[in-house]
Amino acid sequence: MAKSRYFYCLFLMNTLINIINFAPRELIDARFDGAQSSILVAVATGTLFIYLFTKVINKFPGQGLPEIFGSALPKLLAAPLIFVYAVLWYMAGALILLSFVDITLRFISPDTGPYAILFGFLAVVCLCSRIDSLSLLYGLEVTLGITLPLILYTTVKAIINPDFSWDAVLQVMTHSLHAPDMNSIAAATFTFSGYINLAVFNRVFHGLKLKHIWILSLEGFLVLAICFFVPIGYHGTVGIERHVYTWFTTADSIRIEAFLIERMLYIFYFAYITLSLVSAIIQWHVGKELLLSLLPSTAKKPKKKLRQEIVILVLFAAGALALMRMDQYDLNMLGVFLLHIRWYGELLLILLLFWCYWIVRRRRA
Amino acid sequence: MSGQLHKQGVTLEWIRGQLSGFGDLEDKIMAVPSGEVSLLYIKSVTDGQTISRNVVAPFYEMGDPAAYYSYIADYPGSEEVTEGTRALDLLLSGYACIGQAGRLCFFDALKAEVSGVKETITESISQGPSDALGESLAVNLNLIRRRYQSSSLKMEFTIIGNVSKTKVAILYDESRVNHNVLAELKEKLDSLKLDVLQAAGELEKYISSDKLRIFPKTIVTERPDRVVFNLAEGKVAVMLDTTGYAIVLPSIFNDFFTAMDDKIHLPFVGRFLKLLRILGVAMTLWLPALYIAFTSYNPEIVRVQIALLIGGSRATVPYPSFVEVILMMIMMEFLTEASLRLPRAIGPTATTVGGLILGQAATAAGLIGNIMIILVSVVAISNFLIPLNMMSFSIRVLKYFFVVAAAVLGLVGVVICLVGFTMYLCSQRSFGQPYFKLFFLDTLGTTLRKKSGGE
Repeated sequence: MAKSRYFYCLFLMNTLINIINFAPRELIDARFDGAQSSILVAVATGTLFIYLFTKVINKFPGQGLPEIFGSALPKLLAAPLIFVYAVLWYMAGALILLSFVDITLRFISPDTGPYAILFGFLAVVCLCSRIDSLSLLYGLEVTLGITLPLILYTTVKAIINPDFSWDAVLQVMTHSLHAPDMNSIAAATFTFSGYINLAVFNRVFHGLKLKHIWILSLEGFLVLAICFFVPIGYHGTVGIERHVYTWFTTADSIRIEAFLIERMLYIFYFAYITLSLVSAIIQWHVGKELLLSLLPSTAKKPKKKLRQEIVILVLFAAGALALMRMDQYDLNMLGVFLLHIRWYGELLLILLLFWCYWIVRRRRA
Repeated sequence: MSGQLHKQGVTLEWIRGQLSGFGDLEDKIMAVPSGEVSLLYIKSVTDGQTISRNVVAPFYEMGDPAAYYSYIADYPGSEEVTEGTRALDLLLSGYACIGQAGRLCFFDALKAEVSGVKETITESISQGPSDALGESLAVNLNLIRRRYQSSSLKMEFTIIGNVSKTKVAILYDESRVNHNVLAELKEKLDSLKLDVLQAAGELEKYISSDKLRIFPKTIVTERPDRVVFNLAEGKVAVMLDTTGYAIVLPSIFNDFFTAMDDKIHLPFVGRFLKLLRILGVAMTLWLPALYIAFTSYNPEIVRVQIALLIGGSRATVPYPSFVEVILMMIMMEFLTEASLRLPRAIGPTATTVGGLILGQAATAAGLIGNIMIILVSVVAISNFLIPLNMMSFSIRVLKYFFVVAAAVLGLVGVVICLVGFTMYLCSQRSFGQPYFKLFFLDTLGTTLRKKSGGE
């Protein structure tokens, strides 16, 4: 049985991952029209989602999404829903991998072939997503233990840099009074959506006890603020819009004076690729578990389960390879599209769970 | 007649109940026509000669149980006891119990097995006890019992091996052991079908469930104090006759990095030493891989000066860094293996010739960069920081995975390998205990504080 602290690990993973990809870009695009207020809205809705979701999932201790839907909804409705969610999770993991292939090619090893890198990623992610949920949580905790100090170091180092332009930050702050915009909200709420992995990981949580939800919202707010303002302090209010991987260019602007490695980029890259791989593993694990629940039961037949898993993971890998044909622009469009879909998906999931709870309780009464 | 005696000896019955499960308990009735006497002692801590000469022989010479009893009670060092716990303590510390007509007397027959106990070889420490387990099971049990004088320490014996008939003892502290682990172990031992069993490591291989594994799941140790330390933590020890090693299970990753003198040092010194070991593992795993990544893929990661230095030292090397690293590391493995097998007199020669002369010549010939020589030595030395041999060997093999990954994908390969192995470690279980976690105290806590309903 997992302790409640692993829930915080899942949450932390998502907040940290958020800094890499679409969130800073979407927020910075809207820096003159409503990113700041969107952040506040996102913090409020994100915390509310966490609160509602953990409340309702707690009514189903030790049950994942397939078990809950299976017990409360007709099969004709449950199966397509689970399939759609599995695809969503799969896409989230695949997008992380694809953007990291792009980042690696751009910043780390331009001369390694993109397919070689992707094959490396796919090998570790596919193999590891077969591991059981509890072990994945242990692994996640260890990974956070390694990467969190490095990420904190990067952040502190970034902020105390004398060349950091507080004027640029203050100038962007003057545009705060602006109506929030949907793109930014969708991007910023992704910071808070680590809880959604409970859809499968709830199987190992029995009686999740959450104290101090305000810590989650504070942490999410801080991460969003840092992820939004720090690149602006480095690249200027206007210059920032020319960068695709905002945070990687920011990290590349920081110099470590007294260490073997001079460029902060590599420390940052190491921390984030480790965390991203683990996060992709976790997302594909959820996707795989959801899909497995749609296939005929394999209890007590390990060979058959292995075959099913292999088929699913080969499909996953093939899908990722097919998606490699997209260029950076398409990838971004798909990412933003997915951010929106995911937000509505989360909302729907919470409503569905409340509905399931209502059905189960009425049946019991 | 004998039944009557047993009924009268209420404390004797109680002692028998307490010591049930003691395979090494000797429970005898000595009878002459005029009556009889019960004799009870633990074989592994008592001296058989003392008992036969001073306890058994006088009884038949005197032929009168009552007179014999008073003879025993008056013997120097003997003690008459009515209290249960005291009686158990005496029995466990090497006394023989003589019961006659409900009275109990304890006779000092401690076996002090001093000769034949050698010093530790593979797990040496700077301070602390230096006794090593010997090759006789009786001696080893004596070494353990002397350090663990509690009635809850149980010993069970079985025999494994159709031909070798190896005597195997399972030791555990009944009040602390995790009974699931014990049941799983017994089941595995029962299902073993072997002809010959000779070494503890061999048994380790048979009782671990998965065949393809890189990390050891049970500690193989030659230190009785380590066995005792682990027994007190609720673990199970398995000892074999004819081998100087015991197996301790379940063992998690962290256990392999604990040296027995960590407890002796001051807290900060102990922490520092542990940190050194972890650093050593990191160095031995990553240095060769990073060398490949930095020279062949990402020279821009390190400072310009370092990159130039490495590049300069490799100027004459006619092949890529991957070949250089593999070549030198294999060379180093040859040296380690050779110095293990060589007779002690020639050992130093081999290291001198291999390490100094060969390294010097290789760099002079331009086959290997100077930095590579430094690196290989660091890798070889830091590998031996790990206190337990099994783990040290695992890490030795593991670094080649990193080397290959770095050769294929550069720095990305190293990271992929790191994530893969972290996850693999976390997915492992040693007899149901999580093998690798960030806060390993959680895991230990389950065995120590399992009644408080932890994780």
